[in-house]
Amino acid sequence: MEVEIKVRRFNGEKSYWQKYRVPVLSGMTVLDALLYIKENIDATLSFRYSCRMGVCGSCAVKINNKPRLACETQILQLKDVQIEPINNFRVIKDLITDFDDFFAKHRIVKPYLIRKNDSYEKPVEMIQTPKQLKKYYRYSLCIKCGACNSVCPVSSTRDDYLGPAIMTTVYRFMTDNRDEGKDERFKIVSSERGVWRCHFASECSEVCPKNVEPAKAVQKLRIKSIIYEIKKFFK
Amino acid sequence: MLVDWFRIKGRSLHSLAFSFHRLTGIVLMIYLILHLTYLTSLRFGKESYEYLISLTVRPETLPFDLLLLLATVFHGVNGIRLVIHELGFVYEKRNLILYLTFGIVLIVWLYAGYLMFLLIMG
Repeated sequence: MEVEIKVRRFNGEKSYWQKYRVPVLSGMTVLDALLYIKENIDATLSFRYSCRMGVCGSCAVKINNKPRLACETQILQLKDVQIEPINNFRVIKDLITDFDDFFAKHRIVKPYLIRKNDSYEKPVEMIQTPKQLKKYYRYSLCIKCGACNSVCPVSSTRDDYLGPAIMTTVYRFMTDNRDEGKDERFKIVSSERGVWRCHFASECSEVCPKNVEPAKAVQKLRIKSIIYEIKKFFK
Repeated sequence: MLVDWFRIKGRSLHSLAFSFHRLTGIVLMIYLILHLTYLTSLRFGKESYEYLISLTVRPETLPFDLLLLLATVFHGVNGIRLVIHELGFVYEKRNLILYLTFGIVLIVWLYAGYLMFLLIMG
């Protein structure tokens, strides 16, 4: 069986559609089809991938108008196949988008455990109960594929907006009992570019391939920010 | 780009609600300006106000009134839904609440539209 695949291409100057016919087998993913095209039909087709099993988040593309992971999308479950680069990211070539700004914002929020008295000479075990782990576990599953940012209407109009993925990371660390960097992160997320910019389109949660629920994380972070601002006012 | 506020292709009902909310917000803002203009006309006498009213409150403009009513009801009810979610409540039931929102909007709009129809058409 052959399937026609339409791919949105970009050569640095102009954007255009190109059609390919690919023989498909049961179990074949969209990424497999793209690899088939690259190896057998058109070696100039560019796309990004790494793990091939929904862990790295590199292969997020827009398939039939919806952002998905190419490695987790079964090609035979789709009627027609139309592949485009995800929105809200600058296209570098074909399906490859520029994630520099995305990861720069990620670095700003310090995506690691902050400890006030961390001693490398005398390391102390950081104990955590299953209940404490459950508080943030879901949000730690984010693979930074950018699917949520690509459908966020605020991210599309404000370049400085942190976006749902980054704020999910912040919430993940804010709810971790081992973390002591709340004040540092509140200054960033409680600003104009943070939680107050979210208008709750909630599309980020609808498209998340790992069901992380970024919209929920942002709203919960908003409540935390309100409490933080009130406390700051009375200090 | 601003056009992304109204991008609904391939997206869920949540994006449709977001786009509608923006659109109805713009419509209501224009209406508010017109409304204030009408009220300001009272400064020039009762006649000028009644002249403006006679231009817009008549059977021919009823379809526009009904659309304005829909925009108002949707913006209000959907706004309450957003406030509830943004305060961190019933997030898991967001799809059900969205359907409820559309249902409430439809019922309120039809009933208020019926009353408006009776008022204008006699």
